[in-house]
Amino acid sequence: MAKITEKTRIEVREIVLAFFAEECEADKSQITDNTSIIKDLDGDSLMFLELIEIFKKKYNLDIELKTIGKYAVKHPIETIGQLIEMQMLIIEHENRLLELDK
Amino acid sequence: MAENDIGLVFPAFITDFRDDPSQCVPGFNKLFSEYLEKASFITGKELLAYSLESDPMQLGELSNQFASYIYSCTCTDLLLNSGVRPAMIAGYSMGIYAALYTASAIRFETGLLFIERAYHSILNVLPQTRYGMCGVIGLSEKDIREIAALHNLNLAIVNRNSDYSFVVAGSSFHINVFQLKAKEEGALHTRPMATAIPYHTGLLSEAAKELSETVFSADVQSPVIPVISVLRQDRISDAARVREEVVNNIFNPFNWFETQLKMYQSGIHVFTECGPSQVLLKNSKFMQGSGKFVRWDSLINKFL
Repeated sequence: MAKITEKTRIEVREIVLAFFAEECEADKSQITDNTSIIKDLDGDSLMFLELIEIFKKKYNLDIELKTIGKYAVKHPIETIGQLIEMQMLIIEHENRLLELDK
Repeated sequence: MAENDIGLVFPAFITDFRDDPSQCVPGFNKLFSEYLEKASFITGKELLAYSLESDPMQLGELSNQFASYIYSCTCTDLLLNSGVRPAMIAGYSMGIYAALYTASAIRFETGLLFIERAYHSILNVLPQTRYGMCGVIGLSEKDIREIAALHNLNLAIVNRNSDYSFVVAGSSFHINVFQLKAKEEGALHTRPMATAIPYHTGLLSEAAKELSETVFSADVQSPVIPVISVLRQDRISDAARVREEVVNNIFNPFNWFETQLKMYQSGIHVFTECGPSQVLLKNSKFMQGSGKFVRWDSLINKFL
């Protein structure tokens, strides 16, 4: 289980914002925690998948995509803030993510 | 950007219009309208009523395929006229017709004929069951096969876009059940496709036989630009292979991931999607070293 530091938190946030700014051709400074990924940015699940792959590589994560999918069914993501929080949980708990619901 | 590393890819359907190319590509509207008029005359379809403001999903399946083909042919005419010389091309699913037109293997009219004949052949032979297709993201091929086996679903994986992105076809009922079960098993997303035809499955083998009568009597030439087969990932080098590919494409699964990878490994480092959106670009994100995607209208402006 990885320990989430303030540095990690800043890093994850920066990666997510930069990713959506580039993918969705949006102004990074306009993306906030409340920005809706679908309604405001026209984002989609392939972007989510791509972002997961980025984090898996960066933090050398041991997590199956379907574990994230199962978690996301119970905890749907609509905003950038929710996505950042979920990425944090993924980094922290990896394949034990579903144990959070027990 | 070197001229010899540009690859063109062609979508099968129009799902949306992101931008209006008439604003930045001189001549687009005129050529697109001319092709619509020509296609309407040939097919007897009311394609003239179609415009870039139309909702492509409301067009109906056949008209959507026509519109997609016409849009792609317009793109490539403008690209070639501006001096772009693609080194390799490939058509995603029914995007094959526009790819073959671009390679001068078939004429514009022949592409329309193939599209129409394929569609009607399929309707003639398909059993009276409702069919569908869906995209599934976040599950592996093994996961998909296990779900199908566990729930006795008669489904076919008809395309692989990446290790975790597939297209599945079967009866509507089985597709609907599959989508529910796939979500339960951790799929990040499932998306029904706007088609009632199980393309690329063995269910269409009889339709392919009907289509082959048209294909084998049509004027088909060897491609002048290398076309990569989405079925076998090799080069479609002569007229006989073009005919074979058009017929086999209807009822065989394909592999878009491997096709784009083959193009990349053959030296294609710039991919341009000849269509109104960037759906194939999204699929390519998961290839290692997938190269750079440049919008077709941007490519024209670079060469003009």
